[in-house]
Amino acid sequence: MMNMLEASQALVRRLTDDDLVVAGLGNPKYALFEASDRARNFYVWNAMGMTASIGLGMAMARPDKRVVILQGDGCLLMNLGALATEAWRKPRNLVHICWDNRMYELTGQQPTATAGPADLARIAEGAGLSKVERVETLPAFEAAVDRALSEEGPWFIHALVDSRRGKLRPPKSPTFIKHRFMTDLGVEH
Amino acid sequence: MQWPNTIVHVLKKYDVRFINYVPDAMGERLLKIVRDDKDFDVLPLTREEEGVGVVCGQSLAGRRGVLLMPTSGIGNSINAIASLPIPYRIPVPMIIGFRGDLGEFNATQVMMGQALPDILRALRIPYFTLRREDEVEVLTEGFLRITYATESPAALLISTQLAGWKE
Repeated sequence: MMNMLEASQALVRRLTDDDLVVAGLGNPKYALFEASDRARNFYVWNAMGMTASIGLGMAMARPDKRVVILQGDGCLLMNLGALATEAWRKPRNLVHICWDNRMYELTGQQPTATAGPADLARIAEGAGLSKVERVETLPAFEAAVDRALSEEGPWFIHALVDSRRGKLRPPKSPTFIKHRFMTDLGVEH
Repeated sequence: MQWPNTIVHVLKKYDVRFINYVPDAMGERLLKIVRDDKDFDVLPLTREEEGVGVVCGQSLAGRRGVLLMPTSGIGNSINAIASLPIPYRIPVPMIIGFRGDLGEFNATQVMMGQALPDILRALRIPYFTLRREDEVEVLTEGFLRITYATESPAALLISTQLAGWKE
């Protein structure tokens, strides 16, 4: 089974400095930071469930930029409605990646519903997303990302990962994260 | 009955592009206008909390959106508001159809409606209530000015005194 950090590194190697990335609470943002701390990484502390919605807002506001959402299974399960909204809106520039380790790893490895029968790829399809890939190995993940970055979206990549935790932590100041992101993008409120 | 047009006029003046919403009867008065206006882009949500994230994403990427929702939507959004736009300092203008107050017919709306001002105060969110036609323009404009000046959420409540009560 692939590791979230290795897969994040493989993803970042394929992105340009122009791409916007929003990474959700817990391990997804730790792994992204360890893979590459880019100005256009928006790290979400807390706000569980909001990651996909933030990414959708970015994709709507800037259809000229690619937007990548990185979110854990627990975070997505808290806001499954976001998949329905995303599928209905259908932003062509959106790549939604869900790292599924089937647990709330940081809080003590309690199982999520995907440890049971819930299947996020099928839920995404049921929500109306048509470009859905379910991958379990690093080569399969890389192939899915290559397709997602070359063909119109929205894409949903359901990546099954192990539960190894990253060591590094991204910046903790919310306003620093925001200002760095917006300044690099050259925008203001 | 000018108030919906007045609000839309002010939103336009402040370059608001996105109307992200969960519907209610009061919000529909605005939606009727913006749906047919090419200056606006309308996004239906499954839950109000989603809209907090969507408006934040739109703002981070340099465009302005509002969250249009019923009173109950604040209840569905509290942790998202407290943990995202407030600490990250992101303007989130919220236009709320104020249910559970003057003339309410539905008892199940009343607790949330009566708690709404206290919830907004507890979160230090400035809010303004539209009650009379002649105040709509200044309150709508003032509400947008403070949300962008503070880079934080602010709320505009549409009262039944202005919009009429639901039967």
